[in-house]
Amino acid sequence: MIVPFAHVLVVSAVMFVLGLGAVLLRRNLILILIGVEIMLNGVGLALVGASALWQRADGQVLVVFLMALTAAEVAISLAMVVAMKRRKGSLDADVFRDLRG
Amino acid sequence: MANLLYLLLLLPLVGGLVNALVGMRLSRRLSGGLAVAAVGAAAALCLWLYWLADGQGTRVSLLAWLESADLRVGFGLLFDRLSAPMALMVTAVSTLIHLYALGYMRAEADHARFFALLNLFVFAMLCIVLADNLALLFLGWEGVGFCSYGLIGYWYREPKNADAGKKAFLVTRVGDVFLAVALLWLFASLGTLDIDALNARAGALAPAALTGISLLLLGGAVGKSAQLPLMTWLPDAMAGPTPVSALIHAATMVTAGVYLLCRLFPLVSLSAAGLQAIALVGALTAFYGATCALRQREIKRVLAYSTMSQVGFMFLAVGVGAASGAMFHLLTHAFFKALLFMAAGCVIALAGHENDITRMGGLRRKSPLVFWSFLAGALCLAGVPLTGGFFSKDAILLAAFSRGDAFHWSVYGLGALTALLTALYTFRLVYLVFAGEARGGEHPAGHAGHDQPLPRVMRWTLPPLAALGLAGGLLNLPAGWPMAGLLDGWLGPLGGAEVRASHALELTLMGVATALVLVGWLLARRWYARFRPPAQGGLDRFLLRGWMADRAYAWLWVKPYLAVGWLLHRGVDERLIDGGLDGAARGIGRGGRLVAAWATGRLSSYLTALALGLGAMLAYFLVRQWAGG
Repeated sequence: MIVPFAHVLVVSAVMFVLGLGAVLLRRNLILILIGVEIMLNGVGLALVGASALWQRADGQVLVVFLMALTAAEVAISLAMVVAMKRRKGSLDADVFRDLRG
Repeated sequence: MANLLYLLLLLPLVGGLVNALVGMRLSRRLSGGLAVAAVGAAAALCLWLYWLADGQGTRVSLLAWLESADLRVGFGLLFDRLSAPMALMVTAVSTLIHLYALGYMRAEADHARFFALLNLFVFAMLCIVLADNLALLFLGWEGVGFCSYGLIGYWYREPKNADAGKKAFLVTRVGDVFLAVALLWLFASLGTLDIDALNARAGALAPAALTGISLLLLGGAVGKSAQLPLMTWLPDAMAGPTPVSALIHAATMVTAGVYLLCRLFPLVSLSAAGLQAIALVGALTAFYGATCALRQREIKRVLAYSTMSQVGFMFLAVGVGAASGAMFHLLTHAFFKALLFMAAGCVIALAGHENDITRMGGLRRKSPLVFWSFLAGALCLAGVPLTGGFFSKDAILLAAFSRGDAFHWSVYGLGALTALLTALYTFRLVYLVFAGEARGGEHPAGHAGHDQPLPRVMRWTLPPLAALGLAGGLLNLPAGWPMAGLLDGWLGPLGGAEVRASHALELTLMGVATALVLVGWLLARRWYARFRPPAQGGLDRFLLRGWMADRAYAWLWVKPYLAVGWLLHRGVDERLIDGGLDGAARGIGRGGRLVAAWATGRLSSYLTALALGLGAMLAYFLVRQWAGG
């Protein structure tokens, strides 16, 4: 393995935290979705790294599933974003507070 | 043959039901005629079947009404020497009063309701009279109470009348509770409600139980018969139409208490204390009613108080052991008091719907027939010698006196004093109404029909009753007269203790009674023959308002009751229960709003919460990992 596993984990953790930061700090729905993608990719990276470390295919299989899942998720969420934009004319997440108690 | 007795009950019942169900579709003539025919037929039937009462009487039993374990209550009738004369009196007087009502109600819109209730009343009254068991009697007892309520409040659009009806119903209910307890007690200890069986087995009861039951029966009788202390409803009951006052509140229903005590006399008479209580209640009520009647200003209230007083005499008779004396006075009183009320109805109509006797006067010339009839009733009421009232009252006083101990002498004294007052207020009434010139007689305008002559049917029902009242003494002349003691002989052992008195004593007491009447008349003539405006002193007002009994009861019962009601309503219900529930609801609402504040609806705060939760979970696992080594 060319890259040490620790480096893989660090990069993956950085990606996860950056994605989390985007999710938490951004107000734009699309940017929040991008943050989610970054977090998922961070996790995927860690899985691939682990798979390479232990020479087993489980991690890679999981990542393939993850990609398929993510593609579906993005399709649905982008469709919803379009619908929400049509509805309220805005992509600001805080505009959608109809569920306020 | 004996089964025809059922018709006695059935005729008024059917008449009442027909009037109640389809009466408003019938013409006035038909609905009234039906009512009169039903009661008249019952009266004729009663007269025709009278011989059935001879000997031990006749019992018929239609069907079992309640049957459960030991309790067996049937629709059974007992037509014996006590119930037969009573039933005959009830139906006969009712017939005349129904006829009178035809004229009296000629302009009322709701004639069907009136005649239906009147007929149902006769049915319920006959239930009381003819019942062979106390449960059926109690049914009739409640039935007359209900009809009385409906008829007192007949003109219910005026709240005063409806209130009078409610008052009568509620006050008599108090007595009914006592009667119901007495019935339960009797059944619990003797296992039957059959009147004959109760009377026969009463000796088996413990003396204390006998006294208790007697007092409870007295309580029931007191409520129905408007005796002290449950008398306040009777004067107000005069708010009803005059035929109702004549039938229910003079001739029949108010005497039901006396009849009950006579019916159970063999039982009641076993308790000396019970008898003394009955005599005392009777004498005190007689005195109370007479004093109140002295200062009343409405003609019907005078008669109401005098009814109370006369029924008191009947209680006195039962209390001194002379059930036949009580029945005798009951019968004569029914005749002359119904007569007085009906004549009073005519008087009120003649005076232009004026109730106040101080504003009448001079009515003698307006209708001599009414005057002579009223006078006949008044002579009986006052106890003028040789009238029915004289003999019956005298028999009671003689029975009281001849018992010969201090208690009975004092009761006699009270009775004699009452007799004097009775003569006084009766002649006061006659003088104020009929003598002199018409006063204040210019009637308020708007009373339609006061110038119309009285309907013939109202006037001509008076003379038969006058004849019955005046000749009522023939029923039971004292010893030493021809045909003496008819009623005593007829009632036999049902009539209670035989009065043992020497002929001389009897004549002396008669002389005393005559003297008392004479004194009462002379005093009345002196004070009232020439009209003077009524005095307004403290005593006058005290008597006018019936010894302030209404106010005393208001303080004693009504106000505490209202206070408790207010407390339960405002304090317990509104504060405690409603307040508790409201408080709980408010607390839950507040908690809900607190929780709801977390649901901001903002995506970012949810996400933050998610991240923090995740962080917390990770931190927990990290700490555990680190601590666990």
